[in-house]
Amino acid sequence: MALHWYEPLTFSELLKRTFSFLNIALFIITATFFFSEFRFDWFEKLVGSYLVSTNELRPETGAVWETGKQTTNAHESLNAIVSKKEGIRQNANKADSFSGLLSTLLPGEWVTLEKQQFKSLYLSLEKSTSLKIIDPARLVWLLNGSNLDRIFCEGFKGGIKIYFIDSENRVIKEIELKKEDIVEFENADKPIKGILTDMAGFQGRIYPARIFFDALLKLPSEIIPDLMVDPEALLRQEGKIIRVGIFNEAVNGYIKLGFEFEAQGGAQVVFLKGREWAVWQLSLKLKGEGN
Amino acid sequence: MSFFLRVAALVRFCFFMGLILISLGSLYGMLLVFNITKDLPKLPSPLSKIIETPQTQIYASNGQVLITLGERQAVSLDMVSKNFINAILATEDHLFFEHRGVNKLRTLKGLYVTLTSQSGKVQGASTITQQLSKNLFFSFEKTFARKLKELLVSLQIEASNTKEEILQTYINQIHFGAGAQGVEKAAQVFFGKSALDLSLPEAALLAGLPKSPTNYNPFRHYELALKRRDIVLNRMVQAGFISESEAREAMLKKPELHHEQSDSRTGSYFLDALISELISKYGEDVVYHGGIRVYATIDPKLQSYAQQSMKKGLENLDNIMGITDNAADHPQGALVAIDTGSGAVKAMIGGRNYYESEFNRATKSRRQPGSGFKPFLYYTALKDLGFHPATILTDKPVIIPVKGAADWEPKNFSKTFTGPMILKKALTESVNTIAAQMIEKMGPDAVIRTARTCGIQSPLQEVYSVALGTSNVTPFEMAAAYSVFATLGVMHEPFLFWRIEDAYGRIIFEHIVQEKRVLDSSTTYQLVDMMKSVIDIGSGKSIRQLGFNRAAAGKTGTTDSFNDAWFTGFTPTLCTSVWTGFDKERKLLDSHNVGITGGRGAAPIWAEFMMNALSSDPERDFPIPDDVHFEKVDTETGCSPEGYRGGHELMTVPLKTEQKLCQDKQ
Repeated sequence: MALHWYEPLTFSELLKRTFSFLNIALFIITATFFFSEFRFDWFEKLVGSYLVSTNELRPETGAVWETGKQTTNAHESLNAIVSKKEGIRQNANKADSFSGLLSTLLPGEWVTLEKQQFKSLYLSLEKSTSLKIIDPARLVWLLNGSNLDRIFCEGFKGGIKIYFIDSENRVIKEIELKKEDIVEFENADKPIKGILTDMAGFQGRIYPARIFFDALLKLPSEIIPDLMVDPEALLRQEGKIIRVGIFNEAVNGYIKLGFEFEAQGGAQVVFLKGREWAVWQLSLKLKGEGN
Repeated sequence: MSFFLRVAALVRFCFFMGLILISLGSLYGMLLVFNITKDLPKLPSPLSKIIETPQTQIYASNGQVLITLGERQAVSLDMVSKNFINAILATEDHLFFEHRGVNKLRTLKGLYVTLTSQSGKVQGASTITQQLSKNLFFSFEKTFARKLKELLVSLQIEASNTKEEILQTYINQIHFGAGAQGVEKAAQVFFGKSALDLSLPEAALLAGLPKSPTNYNPFRHYELALKRRDIVLNRMVQAGFISESEAREAMLKKPELHHEQSDSRTGSYFLDALISELISKYGEDVVYHGGIRVYATIDPKLQSYAQQSMKKGLENLDNIMGITDNAADHPQGALVAIDTGSGAVKAMIGGRNYYESEFNRATKSRRQPGSGFKPFLYYTALKDLGFHPATILTDKPVIIPVKGAADWEPKNFSKTFTGPMILKKALTESVNTIAAQMIEKMGPDAVIRTARTCGIQSPLQEVYSVALGTSNVTPFEMAAAYSVFATLGVMHEPFLFWRIEDAYGRIIFEHIVQEKRVLDSSTTYQLVDMMKSVIDIGSGKSIRQLGFNRAAAGKTGTTDSFNDAWFTGFTPTLCTSVWTGFDKERKLLDSHNVGITGGRGAAPIWAEFMMNALSSDPERDFPIPDDVHFEKVDTETGCSPEGYRGGHELMTVPLKTEQKLCQDKQ
């Protein structure tokens, strides 16, 4: 059955239609919807609960999370700095030589050395060589007499600097060790392949071993130990000494002596240091001027 | 159909159309919510987690905490004055406890006003929860999308937290200005008390600040802050939190601000310089979020003396110049004090008032030092030309040809010429013509080299007039460079902090005091002796008149135009540079239109500061190098005053073993 809609023709019909059950119900539902929202905020609660349920799936963005990320970044940066320093410290503590220490420190990196460790590094060098780093008397004063607080070691391009620091962070003594110096210090007792006549600084002062030792053994016995301050390298070397040379320059009160060996692998030169005054006595003897 | 029926039909049509539109709108809204939800930020749980950022602390040399960066002293609601809670609720959201994150009627009203406003006025309707949502997660750009997201997040905040938790988080994170975040910190900064102890007038004043922390900053705009406070009190009356009589009574009270904390807590020139250096070294994240501990060099006692001396000195300058309190432009000042034995910066003032101008004139303002640059010239002459303090030069008109420019004709400050005189007298009286003769002999590059050796880093022009201080430098550079004279030629790099540790006490950085001899000690001693004479009888004698009697050396500096007045001087332990002048190009002239010199403008500030700073230190003189001896000379002849019958001035000069008097006359 088809219903044909037509416009109400009378006012009473209009009223009848307007206040129909359907219209009244729709109006009440709509009004209830709005008033209940204003009264009970159910829409806010509904959306709020929905958002709470999806919270874990959402990204950590916004100012507060950025602050958190900045904190994480800061901690990562600080941890990187501290870890790096700790790594350097551990490697430096393991170093048993100045070259070992040098290899742990890049330019600008630093580490605090224990007094004991510096002492062992110092004592690992030959006496005549260690003098070049610092005079033993001065070191004793610094370590045991002064107000030294710690020893600070910093790398620079081509070497390391060692600072002796007091409790007010002031440098009371600074030592600069270049890479080539360290290599030289530590290899002072290692033989070098070659012959004395090819080495600069010995010309005119090279003597056959027999003549050299004859002259040496004629010196008073108290002088001889000062001519060979650290003889271990010489005693370790195998082969026969052919010639001995006296270097033409004194450094820190010592003069270098070169002992040329005839060994299986060819000629080698072992260097020792003699105290300047003792070497002069020997030189006089070699020239036939000494008593 | 009758007219009445037509109207009724139209009403019915509108009702149903409205219903359909609302339904469609709701549907669209729901889809929008679902769509936008995935981009919404995740909420931390608990919400209070936001205040757990580690704090960076900066300590003074005496262990006092100077500032805590990123500090939010979180307090629970029961540790906050009820007055403040009522005030903030009345001001920001008096229906806070009744809504669920959004105040619908206010929002509709705000929307209506915004849409109908002819002036483009935007009516705000944010609840406390919405503000919290915005502060925690969103930028301050005003877009519809941002506003919608902010609203949605506030609904979630309401759904997952109690009202008390929300309010507590809110009051612990809002910015009150002056570096104060959170009510507890604000109460400490502005009133030096806990948030629990805030009185009604104080609480209302604080509650008014978040609207515009800069404009209502009570340290700078006290009257504006009070006006805003009165608005807050009226709102409290309207909201029923207080009676009208209570409001009236509160309006009559003017809360006393805690000024002692204002400089150190809210930023100082020294801290600005320090933080800026830290940031350049480690980046902002480490500085503001790393929870590091920085041990600064500043000595709070000396800093306090510096502030007092600068304040008094500049007020005195105002009086001399006839400048009233209400004048728009006041002279500025800067002061830097450095421990000569280490290079540690002990005090720094970068301007008259930090709260009026944060520009740090101590480190950033480059000004002409005038005669303050002459010590670099004199040292170079003593070293390179073989001069000594008794060498004779003649104060006479000097014309020096300059290639490609007009001849240089330096004039003396006194506009007169006094004939032959020894160098010591020439420096004591700051004679320009003699300085000009010396730089003509040596060339500007030699003087610039000396200045660079002493630590001057600003660009220096390679012109003759550099000898008279025409190239700009900062007070910080001057203090650092003169420190080299104080140590008789030993350079210590100036620095602002001794040590940096992370939150666990592990050392990140340590400053090692390294000495570097950059100047010859005997020559420097000769220069220092001449500079002592500046203070004893020369252009800086006002220092002795003010009662500073310790062994000290220094040099005044006044530019030709009287735009700058300097005094930089030192004792064996402390070197201080003081500058005064206007930021704009304006002369320092007294009320009789007479130019104000360094001796009159800056030296009194220096003297007052040094007297206080060194009051508890033993008196010490500069050590005399072994190869230096003293001889008395006639200042006009440079010869020993044998058979002296008066008339000429005599001076005692230090000479090195190989130096002889009257050598050029023999």
